[in-house]
Amino acid sequence: MNQVDLFFMTLTTGLMVGGIYALIALGWVIIYKCSGVLNLAMGELTIIGAYVTLTFYQMGVPFVLAVVISLIIGLILGILTERVFLDRLIGEPILTVIMVTVGLSFFFRGLVEFIWGTDTKVFTPPVFPLKPIKIGFLVVGSVYLWSFITAIVLLLILVGFFQYTRWGLAMQATADDEMAAISLGVSARFVYAAAWAIAFMAAGVGGSLLGNINGLNISVSYLGLLVLPAVVLGGLNSIPGAIVGGLVIGVLQNFAGAYLSQYFPGGVKQIFPFVFMVVFLLFKPYGLWGWERIERV
Amino acid sequence: MAKGFLPCGTYHQDYLHDHAWWQTKFVKGKMILLGIILFFVIPHLDPYWVGVANMIGYTILGALGVDLLIGFTGQITLGHAAFIAVGAYTSTLLVLEFPWPHAFIHMGIAYPISIIVGAIVAGLWSVLWGLPSAKVKGFYLILTTMAAQFVTVNFIITQYVAKIGGRGQAFSLPPGTIKFGPWVMDNPIRVYYLMVILVLLCIAIVANLLRSKPGRAWMAIRDNDIAAETLGINVVLYKLLSFFVAGFIAGIAGAFWISNLAAISPEHFPWSWSLWLVGVILIGGTGSIHGTIFGSMFMVLVMEFLQMGILPLADIYPQLLDKFFFIKESTFGLAICVFLIFEPNGLSYRWWQLKNYFNLWPFSY
Repeated sequence: MNQVDLFFMTLTTGLMVGGIYALIALGWVIIYKCSGVLNLAMGELTIIGAYVTLTFYQMGVPFVLAVVISLIIGLILGILTERVFLDRLIGEPILTVIMVTVGLSFFFRGLVEFIWGTDTKVFTPPVFPLKPIKIGFLVVGSVYLWSFITAIVLLLILVGFFQYTRWGLAMQATADDEMAAISLGVSARFVYAAAWAIAFMAAGVGGSLLGNINGLNISVSYLGLLVLPAVVLGGLNSIPGAIVGGLVIGVLQNFAGAYLSQYFPGGVKQIFPFVFMVVFLLFKPYGLWGWERIERV
Repeated sequence: MAKGFLPCGTYHQDYLHDHAWWQTKFVKGKMILLGIILFFVIPHLDPYWVGVANMIGYTILGALGVDLLIGFTGQITLGHAAFIAVGAYTSTLLVLEFPWPHAFIHMGIAYPISIIVGAIVAGLWSVLWGLPSAKVKGFYLILTTMAAQFVTVNFIITQYVAKIGGRGQAFSLPPGTIKFGPWVMDNPIRVYYLMVILVLLCIAIVANLLRSKPGRAWMAIRDNDIAAETLGINVVLYKLLSFFVAGFIAGIAGAFWISNLAAISPEHFPWSWSLWLVGVILIGGTGSIHGTIFGSMFMVLVMEFLQMGILPLADIYPQLLDKFFFIKESTFGLAICVFLIFEPNGLSYRWWQLKNYFNLWPFSY
């Protein structure tokens, strides 16, 4: 394979994985925008959805239907999580809220391992054909292509939901100014619950797609954590930022795997997004499109 | 948290008295009693429980640094296990690979030196990852400390450090290599004595720092860093000092813990251990040293009792034993959530209330 081919292959694979990251990152940003919760349990939300999909798929349910069931369960779990744990924490200091999500991540992780074990599970029979697809001179694994298409479609649906539906507008209003939204009759509690439900569902779909690429085990939750570099890159409260950030992180990660691993053998592909994030934070702490906060005494 | 009420008839007349560690004779007596229990009672318990006490001590040493950063300086860290790992690996490598003169090995000072070197290396590594704190704070600082964890443990240590000497992933520590003076660290009781001394030393260091200039600067930064800067405190310097001390204690924790292990591998220092330490100080109460101690005791003992409760059930459900670890994780997560929601000041607040109640008992009005 020559250098040009390698470059474009890496770029396309990166973009396609990045699509999935973008989807999960969008879920994260929605929670942050609407309720101000910085969620560190995103990795666990990802694997819960993925395992539910896998379970139903193994039982013989078609993949799309399995994803829909996982969406419904994600919706219920999201609302429950918000009502039981996070509803009581509105207005608490940032560390408290973050640590509750960390506690939740421990809780969910233990639960997932308890129910499904720690062995890698694969979708059998494979959902997507193993044969790669050729587009022009590019060769792309069909898993990647379909994941990318699904992620983009869902992203469009979510963005449309925010721009054009009544609920979406209510959520945007709450994100913009909570007091004003409440005084205009928007139920803030409903918006919080909806934000968590959407995040759970987006992460679940993302997880189901990621699980198709390399099989599913607890370390997929690490991929869910990659949303953090993505949202930092885009700015914490920017929806377009999350999408761009997800795509960029996917591309960067694959480039690091392709070009840097000969100099630094080992897991440079997994680490690079975080190194990039630290360096990026030093120069642009509010990301590309995040709101800059000016502090005064 | 304000200081507790003093017993009737006790008044401070100068700052020296106000800042004294042991303010009344009664407190002094309690501390002597505690010393007797620590040095003469616990070592004679069943070795299993001495092992549990060692685990508590390790948790205290780890959580002390986290408490210094989160509770006193306000720099939230979620990557403390990385610095514990640095201390542990530095110490192990020094003991195993460094060409010590024979006299040193014979006298058993290789390990004590390696503890100090490990602590300093971990402190410097912690300062390196604390550098972004000059520019970012809050959630962004959390992310950089997370990056510290992943880069240090999952990449540098797993891929490079663990391969030094070609031993494969786990460094085995042959029996007899860890020697502290004339004592070979081969049973829990000796490890226990080392632990008690290290814990007491570290607590003394931190407590003294907290009642002197650096401690006051740290608390000012925690309460409002911009206001602290206008007061003439060198914010960056004191933040980095805080990172150094926290990393130093983490290094001691790591270097101590190898005396209790037969082999050391990167899996001993996962990200969940960092989160666990933060959870411990939240349960104990942030910003108080005895909160750290209570939190460590609470978490370790709850897990022990959980295990004891589950063992009898294992006859009926054999899989339960394999899955114990997951139950432990879930319980820990729930405990953090419940404490933060219902008892945000932690166990140390209850302790404070209890103490005040008995200080003025029975006429509290």
